[in-house]
Amino acid sequence: MIDLIHVTRRFGAATAVDDISLSVAQGELCVLVGTSGCGKSTTLRMINRLIEHSEGEIHIDGQQIRRFREETLRRRMGYAIQSTGLFPHWTVARNIGLVPRLLKWPATRIQARVEELMALLGLSMEAFAGKYPHQLSGGQAQRVGVARALAADPDILLMDEPFGALDPITRESLQDELRELQARLHKTIVFVTHDMDEALRLADHLVVMHQGRIVQQGRPLELLREPADDFVESLLGGEDRGLKEAALLPVSQRMLPLGPRLLARERIGQRASLREALSLMLWRHAERLTVVDDDDLPVGELSLRRLVGARSDD
Amino acid sequence: MRPDMPGPNVVLLTLSLVALAAWLGLDTVSLAANRIVPGTGYRVFDVIGVGGALATSLPWLALAGLAWRPARHRLALALTLVVLMLSALPAWLSLSAVTLVDSAQARLGIGAGIWVVLFLQLLAMIELRRRLDLSRLIGWALVLPAVASAGLCLARWLEPLALWQEYRGRSGQFLSAVGEHLLLVGVAVGTSLALGVCLALAMRRWPGVQRAGFGLLNVLQTIPSIALFGLLLAPLAWLSANVDWLAALGVSGIGRAPALLALVGYSLLPMVRNTFVALEAVDAGVIDAARGMGMSRGQVLRQVRLPLAMPVILEGIRITTVQAIGLTAVAALIGAGGLGTFIFQGLGQAAMDLVLLGALPILLLALLVDALLGALTDILRPGGAE
Ligand SMILES: Nc1ncnc2c1ncn2[C@@H]1O[C@H](COP(=O)(O)OP(=O)(O)O)[C@@H](O)[C@H]1O
Ligand SMILES: [Mg+2]
Repeated sequence: MIDLIHVTRRFGAATAVDDISLSVAQGELCVLVGTSGCGKSTTLRMINRLIEHSEGEIHIDGQQIRRFREETLRRRMGYAIQSTGLFPHWTVARNIGLVPRLLKWPATRIQARVEELMALLGLSMEAFAGKYPHQLSGGQAQRVGVARALAADPDILLMDEPFGALDPITRESLQDELRELQARLHKTIVFVTHDMDEALRLADHLVVMHQGRIVQQGRPLELLREPADDFVESLLGGEDRGLKEAALLPVSQRMLPLGPRLLARERIGQRASLREALSLMLWRHAERLTVVDDDDLPVGELSLRRLVGARSDD
Repeated sequence: MRPDMPGPNVVLLTLSLVALAAWLGLDTVSLAANRIVPGTGYRVFDVIGVGGALATSLPWLALAGLAWRPARHRLALALTLVVLMLSALPAWLSLSAVTLVDSAQARLGIGAGIWVVLFLQLLAMIELRRRLDLSRLIGWALVLPAVASAGLCLARWLEPLALWQEYRGRSGQFLSAVGEHLLLVGVAVGTSLALGVCLALAMRRWPGVQRAGFGLLNVLQTIPSIALFGLLLAPLAWLSANVDWLAALGVSGIGRAPALLALVGYSLLPMVRNTFVALEAVDAGVIDAARGMGMSRGQVLRQVRLPLAMPVILEGIRITTVQAIGLTAVAALIGAGGLGTFIFQGLGQAAMDLVLLGALPILLLALLVDALLGALTDILRPGGAE
């Protein structure tokens, strides 16, 4: 879907992005992660040609991006940034309708689309449509930013640290919402962040960058288990790696069917992560948990031994 | 004093006491037998006696009293009082005219006392408007009673007022002078706005233009206006003598052409500077998003950059216009016409009231433009955004 082939970008003598190759499959959420200044934003902005690449090729659906007019290309991709970039002189509704208006959709269709998106992002029409950006909280503004990026239903979504300026609680809830949205909409998303926890939570495909180069890419679990070098390992949290990995695995992967024994008193949902299960065990001094499904019915059990035991089946 | 009582409003207190001193101590009117001879000054008690003078100081003392304990309702009362006192000034002139004037040639001049009091009263109104958090529009509405009172008094009793006489002697001339003045200002500001926006856009695109442009405009700004008019005289005179079509257009060494050139020259710097700064100051994130969403350069400029820069650009227009209104008065020296004509005529004839006939409308025009453009700037701020 998106292919970067030996792409380099120089600013004068400095090389901001150095010979990177990267493929993002249709419907995949790819996260670029790395310390500040490592070239993540430059990489992202080369995809919609806000920055031109110096060398190499970038393809969208197999076609070179230079074959499109810049504006045409950008209107096919959603773009959300940390500062939201909402137009302060436009209402929320008008901001969201920006790209459809650029694409000359009829007014009724734009109106319907704006309503649909506001509902999707949990923004009530009456409360927010007529508000101006400075009247919104950080989280609300960022929701509007995401709605605006989704407005013309683009296949591709480019997001540059969209949740970077939010408080941790708002950030986590927006991360969850993004995952849910993604499960429903199946966009191809390139997401830039310097926050490894955020990267691990969101990524289908994780790309670690350092000084303009890609040092490792793959599924988050692969990176956690086999970091390519010390840099990746330290970025992944060193001693915290076990917990980070546990956070990625659902309880359902390690639980055993209900045995003949009495049900353990403490319960945990099968969708919860192993990290949450471990935390509960520590907190309640319990060595066994009863795993329940969404309707709170017992479906299995998880023991401490099983939780920390050798990985076999994931 | 109760603990929750605010302390005295020092500004208002000082204003009212100084105004009272000016009212009692300075000449409020002067009377001359005819236009040529100098007049004799009359203080308040010369007109209505000591008892009357003391009676007229009561409102001032009341104002000072209200300023001493400035709770909100007292400030509102103070504002009402100031508005009434402002409206009473024309009445005072009328009373003086009726009491003092005895012949048809006699002329009543407005004395220093009245000017000082008028000025202090306006300051007091501004202070009170701010304390009471009233809008600018209401502030302007508050002068209306005084304007109405002045109109009524002029029509009824102020026949001998020297300023009024000067006006009546040349009312046609006065109107056309106002017209000329506005035309010169309008053309100069309009031209410099168009040029200024183009120049500011060019400066943003090419850094070379930016350095050269600001350098040139800064130099231009430092030349004194009379000198600039003088400098333009020779080349323009030569042009009109040698280029027929320019002469046919009315270009010559003196008159409107050099005046306009100089006015545009002076207006350009504030216009360009404000426009440039305004365009630069637009949030980079907003521009990044606009381009990232697929707006073309033209769309970004027209739909995002210009509207967001508009309040600051308008601020530039306001400063430039107020400045041009003043400079145009000087342009009368080289025969450009306008209200400055009366000022220089009056200076030549030592007729201060004629000078006032030119100077007062210039002042009023400047205030009016300032208020109108200020209001427009407020309106253009979307949803009250910063
Ligand atoms: N327009 C530019 N001109 C010059 N250097 C730039 C420009 N944009 C980015 N850079 C440089 O490129 C490097 C990578 O920047 P960036 O991609 O923004 O990093 P990140 O988003 O990972 O923090 C930095 O060293 C930065 O200074
Ligand atoms: Mg960045």
